[in-house]
Parts: sequence; structure tokens; C-alpha cells
Amino acid sequence: MSYTQRATPVFAQLCTFLVQDIHGDLPARVLNVLERRGRQRSSELKQSSYLNRIQIGHGLVVLAQQHLVFHSPSTEPTTFYEPDWCQCYDLVRVGKIAAFVEERFGQKASNVISNLLTLGHTSLADLLDAYFPSSQQGDGLTNTSTGVAASGDKDTVTSADELYDIVHTLMEHGWVIQASEAQYLSPEDLYNFAQQQALQEHFGGSFPTGTKDKDKLSQLVMANKRRIRDAWLELPNSSSSSRKRKANAADCDPCARQRLNDGQYASIKNCRHSPEDDLVIRVNPEKTAVAMRTHHLVGLVEQLIGSTTARLYEIILRSLEKNIPRCFEDYSDPAPANMEDQPQWEPNLDHIVNTRDIAQQAKIHGLDICNGLDPHAVARIAKTTSNGKGVLAQPVDHTTLSFHQREELVEGHMQLLVDHPLHFTTWHARGQYRVDFDLMAKHLIQHEIEDTLLAKHGVNGRKLVRALLRKGKLEERSVCNTLMASAATVRKVVNDLALQGYVETQEVPKVDRREAKLSNHLVWYDIQRARERLLHDTYKAQLRILQRINFEQEKAKELLNKANRTDVAGNESKYLKQSELQDLKKCQEVVEKLYLQLQRQDDLVAVLRDYCGPFLTA
Amino acid sequence: MASASTAPPELASKAEEGAAVAPAAEDMGSRADMLYEECAKRPEGTTFFQRDLTGMQIARDLNELLNLVGDLSNRHLLKPLQFEGEPCWKLRPKDIADKLRRLVPDERLLYQHIDNAHTEGVWSKALRAKTNLAQPTVTKYLKSLESKDLIQAVMSVKTPNRKMYLLKHLKPSEDVAGGPWQNEGDFDSALIEVAAKVVANKVEHDTCIRVSAGWNNYTSSDRQAVIAHKKAQTKSMPDIEDALPVQPYHPPTDSGASRLVHRSNPGYPTTITLAKYLNETGLLRGKTVRESDMEQLLEMLVLEGTLENVSASTFRTVIPPINQKFNGFVDAPCGNCPVFDLCSDEGPITARTCAYFAEWLETTSEEP
Ligand code: SF4
Repeated sequence: MSYTQRATPVFAQLCTFLVQDIHGDLPARVLNVLERRGRQRSSELKQSSYLNRIQIGHGLVVLAQQHLVFHSPSTEPTTFYEPDWCQCYDLVRVGKIAAFVEERFGQKASNVISNLLTLGHTSLADLLDAYFPSSQQGDGLTNTSTGVAASGDKDTVTSADELYDIVHTLMEHGWVIQASEAQYLSPEDLYNFAQQQALQEHFGGSFPTGTKDKDKLSQLVMANKRRIRDAWLELPNSSSSSRKRKANAADCDPCARQRLNDGQYASIKNCRHSPEDDLVIRVNPEKTAVAMRTHHLVGLVEQLIGSTTARLYEIILRSLEKNIPRCFEDYSDPAPANMEDQPQWEPNLDHIVNTRDIAQQAKIHGLDICNGLDPHAVARIAKTTSNGKGVLAQPVDHTTLSFHQREELVEGHMQLLVDHPLHFTTWHARGQYRVDFDLMAKHLIQHEIEDTLLAKHGVNGRKLVRALLRKGKLEERSVCNTLMASAATVRKVVNDLALQGYVETQEVPKVDRREAKLSNHLVWYDIQRARERLLHDTYKAQLRILQRINFEQEKAKELLNKANRTDVAGNESKYLKQSELQDLKKCQEVVEKLYLQLQRQDDLVAVLRDYCGPFLTA
Repeated sequence: MASASTAPPELASKAEEGAAVAPAAEDMGSRADMLYEECAKRPEGTTFFQRDLTGMQIARDLNELLNLVGDLSNRHLLKPLQFEGEPCWKLRPKDIADKLRRLVPDERLLYQHIDNAHTEGVWSKALRAKTNLAQPTVTKYLKSLESKDLIQAVMSVKTPNRKMYLLKHLKPSEDVAGGPWQNEGDFDSALIEVAAKVVANKVEHDTCIRVSAGWNNYTSSDRQAVIAHKKAQTKSMPDIEDALPVQPYHPPTDSGASRLVHRSNPGYPTTITLAKYLNETGLLRGKTVRESDMEQLLEMLVLEGTLENVSASTFRTVIPPINQKFNGFVDAPCGNCPVFDLCSDEGPITARTCAYFAEWLETTSEEP
């Protein structure tokens, strides 16, 4: 995550805020020191802060348990700590993760994932203990503060096997992965480690000298990184029988896991239970973005095309999600130096859907797929007629359609998706469509930038960046001609946008002195720059919202304290005065509104940051 | 349109040589007038070659014809030209010829040069260079020509701040005045708006269909399907925003209002068909749009978000968003804040003292 990992002061501050919000002051203060001083040993941390050794220790434990810091490999004599900003930022998404899992796998799974989020990472045995406290208490994880309640509620897990099944499903779909020490390696450490491995295996431990070999090395490094990472996604080799908790040491095959967990990072513990019990699992941080992307795209289709098409698109994207562990490949092979070596672009076969399957699914969901299409087309398919205004002569009940007709109707919706300029799907083969996420990612970013400018600067702001994106660098006069607007209007938008850093201007004198009249005024737009600009501004806006939440709560502090008192909580109407009740309600609403906006800004962050890597412009 | 495209750019003053032959008789003057009248019967702007003039059978022989033409040229009633090396002439209206006769030589020289420039017009600096006259003289005579209604000055679109001179009765060329979209060197926003609307409506008519709410009024026989349908309607999209009190209003899935839907397999309008359509409406007050003008307008409409390209030269309507939402950034105060860059963690402008948050949340802020 080298690109997304880059932290500006605003981003770091935002992350620290989030950590403080969820995990309290101490970890946030440790993080703050790490931010100011950079990579540190824990002893150095003490020197550069007012915290004592114990406090730092506690802080670091929390941070490490939650994967909020990187630390250097445990094989090294001293451990260095470094903040893992991305994971810190992801704290803003915990609510989303639970909601996504609930939508997909139901309430129980959502409950499990919430627990995993609270715990950071945990072994299956510990998780089981948390749900079904066994005789061995004092694990530290079973205390009630984790919110695990094993009651007979229909929404909570009732048996160990059920828990295993849920975890298994979640792992199968990539929501939960194996925890591994390699996840604690900072990008730099990971690179070194992968490089060391490559050197050992292919170059006898010493650095290669030739350019060809160097290229090969960088490829190997990437391949190693991918291998390390992909191993986390692997499912433990379990058959349902092994899940029956045989307390049999012979079942435990350390070699198997060693392979899975990549060499020195195998998590071999004593084998108390079945091998899976020792499996240490955590939530896959990359999967959230995949679900967010689905959600965002479906929302866009709903807005831009129609709700029925959006439902179908949701079916499509959800069916693909299982094959998509992450939004984009962060560790892709470095681009070859000359263009000819460029590997041929190949469509990703994992992103293909069949209209038959979708038609089937739509039927299961009871979706009226006649909606949102040209009535004439519907009439043709359903063998009826429609008048000029598109009213059907004989109404068509979608439940009575033949399978073939349903398929044709779905094709109609697919055509709408294909034809849209954002290219939500592309035609792949007869009856098959492909979702080209990479292509779309850029359009999505551009769409957000345009929306922002439309809201802030009106239609001319959006027109300008669209024109520049299409045509590249333009001279002021050509801008006027393209926008069909007067020079005065154009100058104003150009100035506004340039001030905010969305477009750049350049003045090229035509004579040997600098005079506005005798110069060419060029304007251009770089999507990557605008993207970073908007991302940074959004971080800042998020920070302001958090600060405002703090402020609003601070204002109502006394009241909130009172309302949170154990005797009052739940009996507010009994103990609080009418005016207090009103104030409390107002305060809660305000905070809720702010949190909602924070979440919506996070959606924007995801579009701008998480769906594709940086664009390289010449 | 007085300028014929066949007219050569250079003025041939050959015929004026004919003026050397003194007008013989009164008779000749009236014959010359006859010739003029005969020519005037032809469509305006016709170019006359020698064979055309002899064909009128007014002059008895070639010599006389030359004399007549020379006489008319002297009186500025004929404008001598050359086309592919062959001399030819065009008529000048009598009133203009009258005025021309009263010009001083320098003035006339300027007039000739301006005449040469046709609809392109000529820049005053270029005139000075061509005529070798002093700047004040040029300025003075240009003024006087203008006051006599013989020439006009227009602002060039291509090179703003340049006054281009051309004959009064000419319509400036596209290069000078811009296409149909421009008026006096600037975009004619009213005209553009009208044209854009007409074009957008046409495209919408061709590519979209408005579907009314009750287009498919079926009563389902399948009880279970009805329930599922209802459920799908109410549940529509599970959205975190839905759970919260402040959410943009979502109309239900099958809203009562009619909706715009893209036609399946329409004949998409193209630049050419749209240009033709617009010209046929006759809305542009005599102006015609060429393909390139239409291209410009359509591109602007695409940038504006009214239309979208289906292919390079075919278009369709953008279905307006069902409920325009922007994004979390601009929908919150900070996204539109004029002091965004000045706002910081402490100091006079912070999230605590922020007036915009106070307004948005209907709460109070700290006094800075
Ligand atoms: S907190 Fe208030 S003043 Fe600061 S940027 Fe946001 S809206 Fe502007």
C-alpha cells in the first residue's frame, strides 16, 4: 500500500482522531508520538513523550492487537514501530463492514465479524471461548466488554459448529483471512523481506549486476509479495469432519500450515484442539473496499439509469465479489522498459457474468424486470403491443414470463449498462458480460471530481474540466470556443479552479517581454493531481467533522454524563427533565448527522483512493 | 450576398485603361446606361465576362463595347475584376457609385484595398502597409469612409482587439465574425440557448421515451410474487443512509411520476441530421449552421451534460439523475466553505467557531 500509505499531516491527524475515538487516549498518544518522530523503538518512544514505560507498553499492545502499527520482524534483535495509517483510517469503516456482512451473510455473521473487529485478531479457539466460555477462564478475551453474549437469541450463534461454518463462509468469500506476522511489516520491511527471499532463492544471496537480472529481481520481489499476501487468503484445508473438534494432536500437521503461512511466519502454537482452532484470523481490510465499490456502483446506476437496472447490477456485482479479494493489484509487475514487451491486455475472466444466471437470480428476488426498459421492447419480447405513449395493450406480469423472455429482458438491462458512458458492463460473448473495474475506476474518480466542481462552481466548472480532459492542454481562446462562452466567463472559472488547484495555468509570452496581452494563456487538467487534491480536502473535511462532533459533545457534556449514568441509561424519561430530554435528543441527532456525513465522505475517499492505483501521466 | 466566390482576390484595373479613350458622344453615355440596365437585370452579384456583354447586343462592335465598359468603370458603376486571367466585371449599385465618384484619391485607394479584402476584411495596420499612407491619413479616411456608409468595421473573432474593415454591404466572413453562434465578436448566448434547446429536444424525442406510471398495470396472479414484489419495493437498497434521520429523500422504486427511458435501438441522430434539422426549423433568422458549427454545439452540450456520445458522431440524451446527490464532501459545510484553507485546528477559524456548521446543524458555535 505504498501509494495509499503516504500520510500528510492532515491525514495523520485524522487517523489519530479516529483511533482516539475508538480505542481511547493512550493509543492515540502513542500514535501521535510515532507520527511526530517517525520509526521508533519503544525505548525511544519513552524519551520523546511524557508517557512512562508501562503506558507505552499498553498503548503499543492495543495498537498492535488492532494492527494499527507496523513493527519490524521479530527475528530482528530490536523492534521498530511505525504507524499503519491505512488501518487506522479503516476504523471509520467498522460500522460499514458489519452492515455489509449482514446484508450478505445475515445477522449472525455480522455479529461474528463485529467481534473479530473488536478483537483485532484472534485464534479460532479464543473466538470460540468468547462465544461459549469453557471452564478455562481468564483468557482476557472472554470478558463481557467484548460484547459477546451467548444467549438464546436467534441472531446469535448457538453452537460451535455454527460458528465454524460462519467463519468458514466468511473466509471462503475473503472477508476473513489468516492473520500473519507479515501483516505487521511496513511496506519497506516487506520489500526488504521479499527481496531477501528472492536474492536467496535465485541469486545466491548477492545482488545481481546486469540490467536484465535487476529487472528480474524486481519482478521476483513483486511475485514474492503477492505470494506472501495471497497465502493469507487460503482456506485451512478443512473438511467438515475435522471441524468436529477432535482434540487429537496427530491431526495437527505443522508442515501444512507452515506452507500456508509462508516460512518463518507460520503461526505454530501448541496443538490443543483441532488444527483449525489455532488458526489466527482477522478481518480482511481490503475486502471492505470491494463491497464499498459494489455499493457505490449500484447507487450510481440507480441514480443514472434506474432502480430496476440497479438491482440487477447489484446481483451481478455481488455474484462476482467472491472472486475479488481486493479492488486492484497493488503489487503488479513493474512495467517493462520498452513498449513491445508490454504484456497483451487480457480480460479478467473472473469478472464475467451470464445473463442466464442473472435472470435466474432476478426471479428468485422477485424483481419486476420489465421496469426501466423501453415499453416497445418489452411489448416485443412479451408478444403484446404498446401504443405510442408506451402503454402496454395487455399488461405483462413478470412472474408469468418464460425463461427465454426473462433472459431477453435482462439483455435489455445489460444493454443499458453497456451503453452508458461509464461502461458499467462490457459485452464479452453471447449471453456473457464483463465488468471492467479498472476501466471504470478512472471514470468514477472523474465523475466525483466533476460532481464536486458542479456543486461548487456550477455547470461551467464541470464543463471546463471535461473539455480539458477530452482535449488536453488548451489555449484560452480554444477554451472559449469549446465552452461557447465569452472570455470573461471562461477567465473567471479558470481562475477559480486554478486557485483551488483543480486546473493549472501557464502563461507563455509571444514576445520577449512578459505582457498579459501578448502571451498565450494555456490551461490544463491532470486527473491525478485533481484526485489528490480532492482526497486531501476530503480528509480535512472529515477531520473538521470529527472536531465538530467533539465540540458538540463537549457542549452537552454534563447532560450526556447524566444520561449515561447506569441508573439513568434506559430510563431517561424517568430521570431527565423535559428540557433535558429535548436537548439530549437534539444532541444525538446532531452527532448522528455529523457521523452520516463522515461516512459519506468516506465513500468519496474510497472512490478516490481505494479502487485503483495512481495514474501515471506523461 | 454580393461577393461571388468566383471573384478573384486581386483587382484588375485594366478596364480603366479604356477610360483613356474619351467618351465620344452623348449617345454613348445613354448606351452605357443601357448596358448597365441590361446587366442589372441579371441576378445580383453576377460576374460578366466579355462574351456576356457582347451577347447583350448593345455595343455594335468590340471597340465600342470597350468604350462603354470604360465609361461605366470610370463612373464606378462597373467594378473591373479578373478571373483566371480573363477580365470580367461586376455591377456596383448606383448610390455607391455616386459616393465613390466623390471620394478623394487616397480615400479611393483605401476603398479599393478594402474592397479587395472581400468578406475577410483588412486590418488598419495592414492597410497602412499596403497603401504607404501615414497613420493619421489612414485613420482620417477610414473614418470618413465609414461615415459615408461605404465601409464597416468589425471586431475580429480570431484576433480580438483587431478592427477589420470591409465593405458596408458585405457580411463578415466566419473567420472575422465567427460562425452562426457569434455576434459582434462574442458568443450569442441567447441564440445558442435557443438552438441548444431545439437540438436537445430533438435528440430526446429520437432517443428517449417517457414512460408513464401506469404503463404496465398488471395484477399478479401469484400471491407470493406480489409479496416479494412489495418487499423488493420497500427494501429497495439497503443503505446505511436509510437508517438515519437525515437522508436525501428516495422516491420509492416504482414512483408514481413518469420516467424517461432510453429507447432500445433507436436511430441515433448524427451531427449532419441535426444540422439539417436545425436549419429547417428556420429559427436562426437566416443564418445556417454547417456541420462544423453543429459539431461545436453538440460538443458543448456533451460537456454540459445534456447529451452524451453514443459514438463519435451520434448522440443521445443524458437521463437526468433521479435525485441529484453530490458527494459527502460538497454536501457538508466544509466542501463549500469560503475559508476552507484558512480554517485550522486552532486560531480564529476552527470547527468550534464555525458559523457554517452552526447554521447547518442548527446549533451554536463558540465565539472566536
Ligand atoms: S469547519 Fe467551518 S470554517 Fe472550517 S472549513 Fe469547515 S465550514 Fe469552513
